[in-house]
Amino acid sequence: MNLVEKQLYHAPRNNRYILLISAVLVVLFAWSITAVNIENLEQSGMSIAGSILKGIISPDLDLLLATGTQGVAYLLVETIAIAFLGTIIGSILAIPLAFFSASNVVPKPVAFITRLLLIFIRTVPALVYGLMFIRVTGPGPFAGVLTIAVISIGMLAKLYVDAIEDLDTSIFESMTSIGCTTFEKIRYGIIPQLFSVFLSIMIYRFDMNLREASILGLVGAGGIGAPLIFAMNAYRWNEVGSILIGLVVLILIVELTSNKIRTKLVRG
Amino acid sequence: MIEFKNVEKKYPNNVKALEDINIQIPKGEFVAVIGLSGAGKSTLIRCINRMHDITRGKLIVDGIDIGKLRGYEIRKFRQRIGMIFQSFNLVTRISVLKNVLVSLVPELSAWRKVTGIFSREHKIKALTALEQVGILDKAFVRVDQLSGGQQQRVALARTLAQNPEIILADEPIASLDPVTSKQVMNDFKRINEEMGITVIMNIHHVEIALEYAHRILGVRDGRIVYDGSAKDVTEEVLDHIYKGREDVMKEVEGEKVYV
Amino acid sequence: MYDKIFPPKKIVLASGSVVKEKRSRTPIILVLVIVGLILSFRFTNFDFQQLMSRWYEFFVIIGDMIPPKWEYFPSLWQPLLDTIKMSILGSFLGAVVAVPVAFLASTNIIKAKIITMITKVFLSILRTMPTLVSALIATFIFGLGTLAGTVAIFLFTLAYVGKLLYEQIENASMEAFEAMESIGMNKLQAFRYAIFPQILPNYLSTSLFCFEGNVRYAAILGYVGAGGIGLLLNEGLGWRDYASVGMILLMLAITVFLIETISEHFRKKLT
Repeated sequence: MNLVEKQLYHAPRNNRYILLISAVLVVLFAWSITAVNIENLEQSGMSIAGSILKGIISPDLDLLLATGTQGVAYLLVETIAIAFLGTIIGSILAIPLAFFSASNVVPKPVAFITRLLLIFIRTVPALVYGLMFIRVTGPGPFAGVLTIAVISIGMLAKLYVDAIEDLDTSIFESMTSIGCTTFEKIRYGIIPQLFSVFLSIMIYRFDMNLREASILGLVGAGGIGAPLIFAMNAYRWNEVGSILIGLVVLILIVELTSNKIRTKLVRG
Repeated sequence: MIEFKNVEKKYPNNVKALEDINIQIPKGEFVAVIGLSGAGKSTLIRCINRMHDITRGKLIVDGIDIGKLRGYEIRKFRQRIGMIFQSFNLVTRISVLKNVLVSLVPELSAWRKVTGIFSREHKIKALTALEQVGILDKAFVRVDQLSGGQQQRVALARTLAQNPEIILADEPIASLDPVTSKQVMNDFKRINEEMGITVIMNIHHVEIALEYAHRILGVRDGRIVYDGSAKDVTEEVLDHIYKGREDVMKEVEGEKVYV
Repeated sequence: MYDKIFPPKKIVLASGSVVKEKRSRTPIILVLVIVGLILSFRFTNFDFQQLMSRWYEFFVIIGDMIPPKWEYFPSLWQPLLDTIKMSILGSFLGAVVAVPVAFLASTNIIKAKIITMITKVFLSILRTMPTLVSALIATFIFGLGTLAGTVAIFLFTLAYVGKLLYEQIENASMEAFEAMESIGMNKLQAFRYAIFPQILPNYLSTSLFCFEGNVRYAAILGYVGAGGIGLLLNEGLGWRDYASVGMILLMLAITVFLIETISEHFRKKLT
């Protein structure tokens, strides 16, 4: 079979495959449309949309610039504090779990079981954890910190594992020849390889946690979410506007800085 | 002075890697070990710093019977012997200087070991080693931004900072291009001549081995089949080292013809 | 800046060479992190003693979830399917609409800076809005139910896929595009034949990845009345009926795991 025949043979098979996938997609799409019922659509929808837009465009400046504990600035700082502390605690908790699910560190069955555990930890929505931790600490930002810590573990551990499985172990050979002890090999052979990668992962997760922390207020776990929801439920759209503006600006700033730091960490 | 006395090395699966090795390497010599892959070159070198344990015979380095060393003593002993590898074995995510400083780690005090804060004297030692291999200007660059030749020089500097009496090199130029190979070999030569450090090197580039080394050890099937000056190595000697078996076959055939 | 405040340390070697070592940034970063930690402990009323004395409460709830209430399974079916439908529809529409939006945001194709700027700002704002918040706003406009949830997922997908897509378009090789423009194609045609094939595998992979995440998000949207299984989750938690919550979480875990496995399979094929 020469190359041309080979290509000819391959082409239609590939086409059929794409056709099949497309057909499945169309069916899935048609099926999913049935979930949407437009009967619920309220007549007032458009006018509400209008007032929301108006509120966001003309935000409540007093709230936006207030310095007290009710002001946007304070609430944002509280949200940052929840995300920051939660990220730190989560990153530390994730380290042992990551090593226990790295197949080049522990036996395969142990790694598998730890991975399964991580999948479960990851699936439970943040709000559920939030409500569970409120039982421990009572409502407030403390519950938020614990929630953020736990929901970060899954993803952090998963990303850590990739770095651990990529470890370059050839350095051990030369450290043995230098006369290093096991502790020295870990301190100067492993930690330098993992440190900047782990840090970069942590910063990435902090970025995400800030978004998560901003909705925890919904279940009473502190942060800017609660005042946002209250304002919405009371149709005070200009308050909603000022909170959203503060939130969006903060998240954008954090995202930009974190991207910069991470490129620096990776490129050195 | 390194002395092999009837050294034999058997792997746990009973494969004999070294057999009947009897050699002496005086201080300051530049020795190249040549032979086919799997002949036992690497094992021979790694026995000297106890990366491999010998199964019979004696290996004496500067009057110390290294077979008798235990735990801490082995580590102490290894600090006197530098080792260079084919794959450089550096931590690529950190700076050149930090890589060189690794070789000084065993002599640090406990708190310095944990925090990784090195004293000025240690930094000067490491920087001096970098200057000796000519890459002082790269001291604060991350290793992953260096070329292969530069990385091997960092490894060489790391070894020099250890202030070794002997340097063992396991195929140090195998993953380098010809030009950088020459540069790295010149570094070895300078280190050998100017500092009087013994260099024992595994190498499969025969011409380079003959050009730089004083003495050639030819290894075939775990035995030393040639031991002599690099100047005396002829085509026949190389054939003897590399194609030993075929020679024997020919001889046998020859006998059949003439007998 | 930092090097001006703390000038580099000079190290003189025996040979006379001088090496300038920049001051380590580690100490100042360490100080900042510690200050940040202390402030965060204050702001969040972190109470280690409380945690130590009451942590078991957390596991009491987990204990209540096990065993899950199996007989709850039949009534979960419909809302779970709704959740999946919401994610599929929202992700699909979002990914499709993301193409023209990303096209408008790419500086190498659209020369009018004002258009690319506005589109990019729009995408950024959309992306920073937490899904739950946009879902809540959507319930005010579209009423309670799956439509609001679908809209929220649609918006998030649009923002996420849109951003990654315009980054890829801007990094795509322009030679073919220019060649096709020079033989008389218009921008849209040239894009279709020169850029689109370059970005297609990545685009599909990103969309699939976003879909995976969306299933998780969709699961909680019901919490604010935007349809799906979140509504039952809310009820279960409200009534402290943890065995039912356990059942819901188990179902969710299985669904998410299945969808991730399938999607990962296709994503691996694409790259």
